[in-house]
Amino acid sequence: MKKIVGLLVAFVFFASGCAEIETKQQAYPKMYSETEKPVSILVVPAINKSTAADAADLINSTLTIPFADNGYYVLPISIVSDIFKRDGIIEGSQIAGLPASVFKTNFGVDSVLYITINKWDTNYIVIAANVTVGMSYVLVSATTNEVLWSYDQQIVVDTAGDSTGFILADIVKTAVATALTDYIPIARQVNAAAVSTLPYGNYHPLVGTDGEMKVVLKASKEKALNQTE
Amino acid sequence: MKILALICIVALAGGCTSVSPGGYYWGKYSYTYHDLIKEPSDMTTAAHKETLRDIIAISAEKNLRVPPGIHAELGNLLASSNQMNEALAEYEAEMALYPESKVFLEKLISGQSQGSQDQ
Repeated sequence: MKKIVGLLVAFVFFASGCAEIETKQQAYPKMYSETEKPVSILVVPAINKSTAADAADLINSTLTIPFADNGYYVLPISIVSDIFKRDGIIEGSQIAGLPASVFKTNFGVDSVLYITINKWDTNYIVIAANVTVGMSYVLVSATTNEVLWSYDQQIVVDTAGDSTGFILADIVKTAVATALTDYIPIARQVNAAAVSTLPYGNYHPLVGTDGEMKVVLKASKEKALNQTE
Repeated sequence: MKILALICIVALAGGCTSVSPGGYYWGKYSYTYHDLIKEPSDMTTAAHKETLRDIIAISAEKNLRVPPGIHAELGNLLASSNQMNEALAEYEAEMALYPESKVFLEKLISGQSQGSQDQ
């Protein structure tokens, strides 16, 4: 009996202390306000903190679908990124100091999405290896410059596979599998997991009905805000 | 009877899988766009253009709204190969479907039509 009580206490402690979960409405009240909820999103060039130089460019091909599917009008990223490039902006840190409202006049959007790529790399630990993709998302109102939504998401994919029973063979096998691992599908999973906490936009058939969904890890919401500072 | 049920399931799955949770048909969008970023060339541009046309055609066929940005992206590719009239038609279609795109596209159009006059 003592054991069960102890277990129960531990569980409650774990649930409340370690992983505080909020509903979408609690976490992002502005996304449920008639006046503040955005319809359109401008995705600006990502801040790349990873070691992969091409990650910021490649990530562009994965962003339109999840955000559009969630009910938002995403300004065509291919055109937008060309415009930024023409102005010499290829990486997000170059515009990090600008208020989001700067983009309202030029792009006519009501929100700006800032993305930070925190991890896009491979870790080798003798015979084990994994590929990690981690990103932070911060959606800011282009009218008030206030944060509307934020989330931090990381996914680690183990690339070691089954052991052959021979250490040297395992090392070679792991190295080959890891080198061939494509980051893009992992990045898509990261996007999907993060966007599952984003309240539905006006083009989504279920807009306004998801406020009670308890899916927002408070720590992840707050972590994203610290990454971009 | 079993075979009929199987056919129904296959038909249903085949019909549904291509429409995203948001109710859009995206075709090969992320693949051809990824290739275009990774290796910009006439070939990857042509492949992406074909994807965009395919999305527009299938969406019409399935009676779905064309996803955000597709008409505009096609317009932009047409403009860069100096097909300004065709480009304008695509931009107009985007603005009609998504009025939020108007400010951005009108600026883009005025820049591009000026550019094509200069040439």
